[in-house]
Amino acid sequence: MTESYLAPLWISLRTVLAATVFTFFLGIAAARWMARYSGRLKSLIDGVFILPLVLPPTVVGLGLLLLFGKHGPLGHFFSLFDTTIVFSWPATVISAAVMAFPLMYMTARGGFEQVDVNFENAARTLGASEWRIFWTVTLPIARPAVIAATILAFARSLGEFGATLMLAGNIPGKTATIPIAIYFDIQAGHMDQALILVMIVLVISFASLGGLAYWKLRMPHTTSAALNE
Amino acid sequence: MLEVSLKKSLPGFNLEVAFSVNQEILAILGPSGSGKTMTLQCIAGLIKPDEGFIKLNDKVLLDSAGHINLLPQTRQVGFVFQNYALFPHLTVKDNIAYGISHLPKEEIKIKVSELLEKMHISNLGHRYPRQLSSGQQQRVALARAIAPEPEVLLLDEPFSALDSQVKERLELELLTLQNFYKGNILFVTHNLAEGYKLASKIAVYDSGRIVQCDFKNRVIASPSNRTVARLTGVRNLMRGSITEIKDLSVRVLVPELGGTLKVTMDNTAGLAPEQNVTIGIRPEFIHITDHPGDNAFPCTADRIVEGISILECFFHVNTEITPRHWVEVSLPKLHAPHVPEGHKCYVYLPPEHVAVIRE
Repeated sequence: MTESYLAPLWISLRTVLAATVFTFFLGIAAARWMARYSGRLKSLIDGVFILPLVLPPTVVGLGLLLLFGKHGPLGHFFSLFDTTIVFSWPATVISAAVMAFPLMYMTARGGFEQVDVNFENAARTLGASEWRIFWTVTLPIARPAVIAATILAFARSLGEFGATLMLAGNIPGKTATIPIAIYFDIQAGHMDQALILVMIVLVISFASLGGLAYWKLRMPHTTSAALNE
Repeated sequence: MLEVSLKKSLPGFNLEVAFSVNQEILAILGPSGSGKTMTLQCIAGLIKPDEGFIKLNDKVLLDSAGHINLLPQTRQVGFVFQNYALFPHLTVKDNIAYGISHLPKEEIKIKVSELLEKMHISNLGHRYPRQLSSGQQQRVALARAIAPEPEVLLLDEPFSALDSQVKERLELELLTLQNFYKGNILFVTHNLAEGYKLASKIAVYDSGRIVQCDFKNRVIASPSNRTVARLTGVRNLMRGSITEIKDLSVRVLVPELGGTLKVTMDNTAGLAPEQNVTIGIRPEFIHITDHPGDNAFPCTADRIVEGISILECFFHVNTEITPRHWVEVSLPKLHAPHVPEGHKCYVYLPPEHVAVIRE
């Protein structure tokens, strides 16, 4: 009994963790690229990256279903390795990551665009490679935005429902994440189980907000009046 | 030795400059938007000119004909940005060490503390840039730029962000920087006094071109055209024509002064009688006197503006010519005779301080 109604928590945690890791790297790479890209296709690419945010989640879910389904291009690709994505645990990760991506991308891009090019130029004249500049100058200076982006992405994947339901379905113990479990618990009249999951979500959400506030207090160079000599 | 020649077109602006410096300090002087900063960015490789050639000592940094364009990382060019661009998330020590991270740890430590000491900021090593005054930030930026021992140091408006007291002290320190930084220094400024004090050569920029590049005393003594004269503070410019050339002295008829003016020069090459020229003289070189004579012209004081140490006097020359021409004279207050408005006297233009500008 205990196991079964806490199962959605473990599924959600694994899903959210994996989805956040994926969106973190993909979102940062896309954001960094677009922040300094000024080609003709800029607004088009930008639009594609933000699309999951403006479309209804079920529509995105349907799109993913077509993409990863038996006859979809990616579904066909995975079937070569005897793997089916649809209605499996990885499907929860994919839908959560896709839905969280625009938030990660937009917030991080805003942060990178705020970084004065002269910081990067200074590093260039000091002989640093572009890779080193990104990790030691651009990313640390844009860190507040990147952290905010990660927290938004984390929260968005934790709350993901529509696309997940379309692509991963509701398989208890396998693809039923917390939001999906809450919905089906209430449908089935298990109000008490739903409430426990609701409490858990509240705790996780407040803990991440608290973590963010604590981190902000601790950053030495974001506090101005720290003169101590 | 740094040789530079650059061409770059932007909408509404063309940069086309060429100059060279040899182990000296060059001031790039000009109004804003004249391409000074862009020149530095091209030398550092931060922007790419349409055409150009840059050679630093024996290394070709850029040769658009030979398709050479070194990355800024490999050019060994130190750059101090106008806003200093200190990394806000790193301490002073880490900022200075950024460009020498390939050295062994012990060596970095020694070098950083040496630089801190030379820049008189040893006590600030653990601070973050935002805890520093702008003068201190500039020292850190200089230390960071010279740590990797670049072969040329480029400073973009190094003193524009400082208040005047700090500025004067740091100007002196830039001069002492030469004691331990042996390389070319190029700095951009729009302040002539600053350029003259710190540099040995001055390149005068005007809308993307160098209008004169020479030793500073020559830029001041003989501006090559009216633009340079105007940009370098020669406030009195008058048209005239040469009446006589004898050895190194030239007589110029200046209608606006109502007479002829004697000028002594280092060389009179390129000048001929009846040639039209412009004569120019700085306000601080003009004297006033009560006696007529050579190079003294009768005039009336129209307006006196009192500064802290000088009186700025505007005289009109008593000639028939209209509109009246004004002569601007700066008199040191300490030695200035009493000049009330409406006072009639003579302005004396010393022959050795008048510049003859060929047109």
